[in-house]
Amino acid sequence: MKQTEGKIGIREYVAILLLALGTKLTDDTPSLLYGTAKNSAWISMLLIGILTVVPILFLLKVFSVHRNKNLHELNLHLFGKVFGNIVSLGMLAFGFSALVLDSATYVNIISNIYFTKTPPIAIYIIMGIVCGYGAKRGIQHIGSAAWITLSYLKVTLALALFVAFTKGNSKFLFPLWGPGTKEIVKTAASKMSIFADFYFIGIIAPVVNSFKEFKKGTFIAFSFVLVEITIAIIIYVMLFDFTSIEVISYPFHEAILYISIGFLKNVESIFLPFWLIAAFIRFSFYLYMVLVLFGGIFKIKEYEYLVPVMVVLIVFLGTSPQFATYTVPYLREQLLMILSPIFFLLPCFMWLIAKVRGDFKNEVKKDM
Amino acid sequence: MFKLLKKLTGRKQKRINFKDTLEKQSNQKDQSVSRQIDVNIEQIKKIYQFPDNKDVKFREFRIGGTGKRVAIFFISSITDVRTIEDSAIKPLIQTTEIKAEIKEILSTQNVTSLSEIKEVVTNINTGNAVIFADNATKAYAFECANFQGRSVERAENEVLIKGSKEALTEKVIVNLSLIRKRIKNESLIAESITISERSQNEVFMLYIRNVADDQLVGNIKNRLETLNVDAIQNLSLLEQYIEERSFSFFPSILYSERPDRAASFLEDGHVVLLMDNSPDALILPATFWSFFHTPEEHYLRFFFGNFVRLIRASSMFITIFISAIYIAVTSYHSEMIPPDLLLAIAGSREKVPFPVFFEILLMEAAFEFIREAGLRVPNPMGPTIGIVGALILGQAAVEANIISPIVIIVVALSGLTSFTMSDISLNYALRIIRFLFILSAGLFGIVGMTSLFAVGIFYLVSLKSFGVPYLAPMTPNFVSSGDTIFRRVLKNEKFRPGYLKPTDMKKKSNGAIK
Repeated sequence: MKQTEGKIGIREYVAILLLALGTKLTDDTPSLLYGTAKNSAWISMLLIGILTVVPILFLLKVFSVHRNKNLHELNLHLFGKVFGNIVSLGMLAFGFSALVLDSATYVNIISNIYFTKTPPIAIYIIMGIVCGYGAKRGIQHIGSAAWITLSYLKVTLALALFVAFTKGNSKFLFPLWGPGTKEIVKTAASKMSIFADFYFIGIIAPVVNSFKEFKKGTFIAFSFVLVEITIAIIIYVMLFDFTSIEVISYPFHEAILYISIGFLKNVESIFLPFWLIAAFIRFSFYLYMVLVLFGGIFKIKEYEYLVPVMVVLIVFLGTSPQFATYTVPYLREQLLMILSPIFFLLPCFMWLIAKVRGDFKNEVKKDM
Repeated sequence: MFKLLKKLTGRKQKRINFKDTLEKQSNQKDQSVSRQIDVNIEQIKKIYQFPDNKDVKFREFRIGGTGKRVAIFFISSITDVRTIEDSAIKPLIQTTEIKAEIKEILSTQNVTSLSEIKEVVTNINTGNAVIFADNATKAYAFECANFQGRSVERAENEVLIKGSKEALTEKVIVNLSLIRKRIKNESLIAESITISERSQNEVFMLYIRNVADDQLVGNIKNRLETLNVDAIQNLSLLEQYIEERSFSFFPSILYSERPDRAASFLEDGHVVLLMDNSPDALILPATFWSFFHTPEEHYLRFFFGNFVRLIRASSMFITIFISAIYIAVTSYHSEMIPPDLLLAIAGSREKVPFPVFFEILLMEAAFEFIREAGLRVPNPMGPTIGIVGALILGQAAVEANIISPIVIIVVALSGLTSFTMSDISLNYALRIIRFLFILSAGLFGIVGMTSLFAVGIFYLVSLKSFGVPYLAPMTPNFVSSGDTIFRRVLKNEKFRPGYLKPTDMKKKSNGAIK
């Protein structure tokens, strides 16, 4: 009822996060964990989840006293003009490369599994146009689109996973500790930036109706996504066993290629449109965040005019690596490795500075 | 591109030389009523070009008692001549009173005195009769308008099985009466606004004062008052003048011929526009759901109503997607069809020389031709078109190996399901969108369709009708009765839609369920 202009409600916020993060279980994110943690990848995933709570808590704490600032403004406030800009620029660089690599992954999935005869650049261009259009419409409309499609996307995903589950063999999950606890922990520590998106959502923090909704929404989305991805990882292992899953790049798509429902023997094309819509919303959202960050750093108020340039840049960079199937995952893994410690430490650092600056002193008054 | 088009059309207009006859016309009327009756008579005769203008009537006579000269003017085609004779001319001639004023002698329901020629002309134009008297600076007008029109008939475009059968007519007074019959409340306001300068078309703006948001009412009123055109004949044209996005596929103003529908929207806090010459009402603001709904779903019981909604939702899906899906699946994703069916399709297409895309496009186009022809053809020939279209075209095309039988099924299904959408604007929107999906499926299969769908969703959620988001209350969320794809039990529909910001949110108190 208290719909304020230009803001999004908790439903839209959660919907965006669920789609943006939930699609991770359908790309090569699970296979990054299988490489080292083998059949115990799901334990690593849970560990990552537990570890991720720390930076999220710190970040929320900092945001609780700076409710009208987005991530970039917060950086400027905490680190000063020069360092703040440098930190934001770093974030922009990471965010942009993540966007390029992720979108390259998705285009790779489409062109390798579904449209083998279509040149990848054509698919990339279509994706660029759709996501550019979405990003130009703004966060409210991305949120609304996410909310409208959310239930259909999650229901079909659940159906696919359920059918895969019935075809799976639970014995593949054992031995429970797989390669040993050390490996599991190591994997978790090096790949924890899977959830680094939670740092970037600080960019849209002031757009959410109220801080309370932001906080609640973040936790709802986080727990849902964590459970979702963990279950998916378990199901993939049950379906393929750990020896073969290590060599599978995109387990979700292998799974829907493998399963059949009733008289329909090949169901992957049924799931394809739903997955694609989730992907479109995800990249619209990422593109929007990158644009806001870019606009904030370089003081460009009407950043929607940057959309075409940014899209062209992304398509150009995304199609440039040859043998995308091998290069892109490698680059992604490197990126995650670098990002992991940063993602863990930066929010703690931000909190520390805020503490030293005495930002939390007024907190009690604000909450009342 | 549209901006460029606008610029071009704008530039072209500037080159045209204007000759403002309207201003000359209004200058002519800019006088006050003269004391000498002959001057007035000459003036009015000149304005109406009497006696060239055949239905403008003029009668001069003397009052019975005083012997004072009077003249009466009216347009016979839009007045009730009997009333003029019985309640004006007769009493005036037969009176024997010497001191009585003209106002007192007339036995009509109301008499107004006018002092400007402009007012006199307006009154004559709207069907009133005007009396001039010698030695008086005032003219007298009384109501005797009688415009010809249909009587109340059955609704023909929005047909219901259960519920009222009345439809709005071309006479705005009848329409008002039909709506007032349903809302017997003094706070139902019918304001009249003149929207055009030359034809002086009048729009009635209806709203319930202590329900509708004042800002919304003000906004709509402002938009109507700032129109600057010579003539707007009816609501279908007015709709295009006041809508926000002229190039949008999706309508933003609801157009209905049912008074019960208009009344129920009024009760929710919407604004309704009525106009002479329009057998319909414009309801604004409108959301996507209001185009998707029909009143019948609320007249039917809970499950039946929602069953109809389910049917309509799936029809909408089928009408947009089925042709596109057929193209995408057969040309890009043939592995998903069960082998037996695939063989059947391949067998039926064996002799067809065209690609599926072309085949579907051909048949869809044929269907649109039949539909348009069926609509325009004079009534007695109607059935012939149907027979020629369905039997000859379909059957013969299959036998001539131009079209495979499955395509006929697909296209017939997509055409048939499009008729479940009772709103004509949405119907057209879906028909055009279907072709876009066919094109995208032909180009990129399911990826193309999904891309177009995603763009469509982004577009749909960004639309607004008079400040109301198009998909509200689904997203963004508002307090409302939750009447979107499905409806709730009637007793639980407690709230007016929050996106209208109604002054009174609650439709029913909790006590209503006792």
